[in-house]
Amino acid sequence: MLSLRSILRPTRHVHAHCDIPCGVYDPEQARIEAESCYRIIEKYHASDDEVFRQRCVAVKEARAEETKHHIDVLWHDYFKPEHLEKYPDLHDVCWKASKAASKVKQGTDLEAARDLLALIDQIDGMWKGTGGLEKTRLNGRPS
Amino acid sequence: MAVGAGILAGQAARRWLDVVEVRGRSMAPALLPGDRLLVECRTYARRQPRPGEVVLAADPRAADRELIKRVASVDEAAQTALLLGDAPAESTDSLVFGPVPLASIRWRAAFRYWPPERAGRL
Repeated sequence: MLSLRSILRPTRHVHAHCDIPCGVYDPEQARIEAESCYRIIEKYHASDDEVFRQRCVAVKEARAEETKHHIDVLWHDYFKPEHLEKYPDLHDVCWKASKAASKVKQGTDLEAARDLLALIDQIDGMWKGTGGLEKTRLNGRPS
Repeated sequence: MAVGAGILAGQAARRWLDVVEVRGRSMAPALLPGDRLLVECRTYARRQPRPGEVVLAADPRAADRELIKRVASVDEAAQTALLLGDAPAESTDSLVFGPVPLASIRWRAAFRYWPPERAGRL
C-alpha cells in the first residue's frame, strides 16, 4: 500500500555537484584548518585586547567552517560503500567530526578543538587504511 | 477510500509530476543538499525553457545522471541552452561541458516542499 509519505519520498536524485572530479583528497586539509582553530583559541584566551579577541573569533569561525567543509568533502566524495564495510563506524566518526567543527565554530573551548583534531585523526586513519595516501595524492604526502 | 483515490490520482499524476532530492551544493544558496522538490514536465512540452528557470537535464558526460542547474541563456538557432550552477566555485556546468541540447531538458523544478521552513515556489 502506498502512503503519502512514500509518494513524497524521492527516489530520484538530481545532482548539483562539483565533480570534475579531481580525485585529490587528504584529511590534512581539514587538520590544518582545525589546528588554526586550536591556536587561535589559545591566543584568544591569552589576550586581553578586546579588538584582537574579536578578530580571533571572526577568523576562528571562518577556519572552523573550512574544516567542516573539508570533512564533508571526504565524507561525501572520497569514502565509498566498500570503505564502510571495512570501517563500520565511518559515518559515525565523520558525523561527529562535522559536529565537532560546528562546536569549535560556535565557541572558544580549547577542549572542543582538541576533540575535533582527534576525530580528524580518526578520519585520517580510515583514509590511510583505504589507500587514500597512495590513491589520491600525486606523490603521497610531501615529507 | 478518499485516501485511496487520492493516492491513485497521485500515481497517475506522476507521469508529469515527480519528486526529486537535491545532491551537492552547486545551486547554493537557492537549493541545498537534501532539499526535496516537485518537478513537472508539462511546461517544456508547450514551450522552451527560459533563462532563470531551474531545470533538470541529463548529464552530458553520464546519461544516467540527472543534473539540476539554472538556465543562463537559450540559443534559439542552435536549439541549445547554457546551464549554470548558482555557486560557480562549486559547480560543474556549461562552463565545463558546454551548451546542452534543449531536447535534453524536459523537467522544470517548480516547488520545494522540504524542508518545510524553506518551502515555496522556485
